[in-house]
Amino acid sequence: MTLRLATLLTAVKKPTALFSGFGVWAAAAANAQITPGGIGMQPANSALAEEVQFFHNIILMPIITVISAFVLALLIWIVFRYNSKANPTPSKFSHNTLIEIIWTGVPVLILLAIALPSFDLLYKEDVTPDGQQVVATGDGQTVDFIFANDFPESRMVRRPKHLQVIIDNGNERRVLKNRADYRVDGFGEVDLVVSMTNPPAAGERVIIRGGRSVDHRGNVTLAPTMTLKVTGSQWYWNYAYPDFGDFDFFSNMLPEDQTTPELYLRAVDNRIVVPVGETIRVTITASDVLHAWALPAFAIKLDAVPGRINETWFNADREGVYYGQCSEICGIKHAFMPIAVEVVSRPAFEAWIDTQRALAGMEPLFDVDTVKLAQGDASALSE
Amino acid sequence: MADVHAADAHAAEGHDDHADHKPSFFVRWFFSTNHKDIGTLYLIFAIIAGVAGGAMSGLIRMELADPGVTFLTNFTGGNVEAAYNFYNVLITYHGLMMIFFMVMPALIGGFGNWFVPIMIGAPDMAFPRMNNISFWLYVASGILITASLFAPGYGGQLGFGGGWVLYPPLSSNTGSPGPAMDLLILAIHLAGASSILGAINFITTIFNMRAPGMTLHKMPLFAWSVLVTAFLLVLSLPVLAGAITMLLTDRNFGTSFFDAAGGGDPLLFQHLFWFFGHPEVYILIVPAFGAISHIVSTFSKKPIFGYLGMAYAMVAIGFVGFIVWAHHMYTVGLSVDMKAYFVAATMVIAVPTGIKIFSWIATMWGGSIEFRTPMIWAMGFIFLFTVGGVTGVVLANAGVDHYMHDTYYVVAHFHYTMSLGAVWGIFAAWYYWFPKMSGLMYREWLGNLHFLFMFVGVNLVFFPQHFLGLQGMPRRYIDYPEAFAYWNKISTIGYEITAVGVLVFAVCMIDAFFVYRKKAPANPWGVGATTLEWMLPSPPPFHQFNELPRFDKPGAKAF
Repeated sequence: MTLRLATLLTAVKKPTALFSGFGVWAAAAANAQITPGGIGMQPANSALAEEVQFFHNIILMPIITVISAFVLALLIWIVFRYNSKANPTPSKFSHNTLIEIIWTGVPVLILLAIALPSFDLLYKEDVTPDGQQVVATGDGQTVDFIFANDFPESRMVRRPKHLQVIIDNGNERRVLKNRADYRVDGFGEVDLVVSMTNPPAAGERVIIRGGRSVDHRGNVTLAPTMTLKVTGSQWYWNYAYPDFGDFDFFSNMLPEDQTTPELYLRAVDNRIVVPVGETIRVTITASDVLHAWALPAFAIKLDAVPGRINETWFNADREGVYYGQCSEICGIKHAFMPIAVEVVSRPAFEAWIDTQRALAGMEPLFDVDTVKLAQGDASALSE
Repeated sequence: MADVHAADAHAAEGHDDHADHKPSFFVRWFFSTNHKDIGTLYLIFAIIAGVAGGAMSGLIRMELADPGVTFLTNFTGGNVEAAYNFYNVLITYHGLMMIFFMVMPALIGGFGNWFVPIMIGAPDMAFPRMNNISFWLYVASGILITASLFAPGYGGQLGFGGGWVLYPPLSSNTGSPGPAMDLLILAIHLAGASSILGAINFITTIFNMRAPGMTLHKMPLFAWSVLVTAFLLVLSLPVLAGAITMLLTDRNFGTSFFDAAGGGDPLLFQHLFWFFGHPEVYILIVPAFGAISHIVSTFSKKPIFGYLGMAYAMVAIGFVGFIVWAHHMYTVGLSVDMKAYFVAATMVIAVPTGIKIFSWIATMWGGSIEFRTPMIWAMGFIFLFTVGGVTGVVLANAGVDHYMHDTYYVVAHFHYTMSLGAVWGIFAAWYYWFPKMSGLMYREWLGNLHFLFMFVGVNLVFFPQHFLGLQGMPRRYIDYPEAFAYWNKISTIGYEITAVGVLVFAVCMIDAFFVYRKKAPANPWGVGATTLEWMLPSPPPFHQFNELPRFDKPGAKAF
């Protein structure tokens, strides 16, 4: 069974103008990512990156701008009001307890206001999603569906927001509303029962997702569907796919004459390929010196350290090619080992996996007609 | 006002036979035990290092003016890989030069030596001969780092190109074989030993040699700032020394402290380094805080607002500075709880820093301000340091730092605090104390012109780097995608304007010494200048305070 998660994400996406619509802060061509002369962050391509940008663009940036402008305004006022001509006799005060309490207390409050969303974001980034889903088919009568809430104690589904119930009738997907469309019995217990107000029609699929990894759009982010093993070396990356036969390949920067001026220093010979809308676990290490694997569109950056395996994750919203660059000095060609990831649909991903397996002398893993696909026949991509 | 004893004031004016008896040139400058002469030597040293470090940043900015590696190849006979190495060497030595050989010698060795003893009413430092060895160790260290620049490193190329943070394995035999890195380690050992000796000297002097009645709570803020700095040095530098010693034995004697293949851990070095490295940034800025307080108070003709709050804000910044080091390491793979702790601890620093900024503003508030050259620099400092401070609050958030880390946003941030903060403090202090040290005035308009060029220049250099960082441009890159070209160009233009500013500074100084030659009065700044150095002639006698000033009469205050 293959889920078209991308479609689902689009269907349940809340309006996100606030997160991405701030003109210069987010504007850039779809895949080039960097706006020439741009002054904002690269466009986000995941719910998490959107949240990082929200935190920076909407919370931090305005706060620090106002503080700097306030200090500047005070200085300008002082220049005009308290220069020796305007104010020939200086006052002699050197204490004012109230004002001192205010300028100690107010910054504390501002910092608390920053810290709360900051911690929330940090834990979201750092904890690999562990959401689970069950899929059942309606028969026009059954109203009770069971979700196995078998997470570790600290990660259990305990509140309505940890649970998402979706009805898929084959044409469209609809996220149901708690209480109006269904009731839940057994929060915090191992068997959790979702009772529908109306029984799903025969053939309709009922998708129940639960977990603590809920993104800012309210979607439960599911556990990783694959792991990407990244190894940094002077001065290239190696990528392995342990879930699909552990084939691996090297990724080198394309020299100037084999790419466009726009993509030079970012384009590579072999891109990473990942499926859209799925959580990708990334494990990172290095073989010689430190490197750092960075993808700004997903707001991730993690050092590659010899002798250690670091873990991070991302979940792409949109298909396309996204670029990053090594971000920890690693010797003379530090600037010449970029990262390129190609986000594709699930079927295209499976086709790519089988091609790579064939190159490594392995049998195909998925039921995809690669011959048809190579001929450009879209029916090869049907589920 | 200090209650300077009449007889002492007489001596201080230099009429006493013994006070101004100077040794011969060689003995005076090479065996010097006089705090003012040693301070002068440190300042000369800092100027030389500053010119070298500034020239390196010029080469960096020229290379980055346009995409492609086109400029540094001129220095490597067209060899592109040698140019890559040269670039990394430049960024490494630019950082080390500016931190260890420019800002520290200028603020602590230079102004600290010159004015801490005078401000606390002491005749000299507690250990004059140790003061001498502190300086000459610095010279030896400078020679070693210069030698390292011309010694073979990676691939037989000259110098070490792994960044000033010296992270292994790039700084171990894996990444940088050859003697360049070993020489660099020894240079830092010597610089560290020098600073530790200097710090011990300052702590002893300040604790034991204050004039009678000058309690710590009456001590001028610059002396407070140097006291805090000295403690930071004594507590943090031994940790750096340990770390680089381990690196040295890893490189030469087969240990594997930082080698994962031998059971070590590269991250151990980073923890040790930043346990030193974070206090180090306060070592650079806190003395500037002290100097700025004096300047703001002097030209506002008002006592400093919230004196005790200012002093203890520096103590608080120094203390908290020791427990925030891993905010430099958010992307190395720390556990999330540890990151959360460092986020919280780091943001705490904003509170005492805010107290300082607002107290400076409150000092000016209600004042009758003379906008002389030092005051203009001090006001520039307050604004630029605020900008650097608030971007620090942004970077403190690990959730955002995962995006920003190792991008130009970080470069912009720390240059706003260091290059536009500490260096602004140095120039403010220089223009403030220059008449006292040299006995000569400078032309104010040249000082103001210097400010104007530098203010426009450095802002053009570093403000666009925030944009580059937000767009994701990684730091320490010799070449960048075309889309980053625009702001890099602006940044390089900014450097050129800054360079003109530095030339104006040179002209201003040459003019002051050789053309203008206007004698400075004991107190050129008027009623606002109340600390002891302004009660001595300009320049002060070779030995001051043969009879100590007293602060123990009822009502006597340092300010």
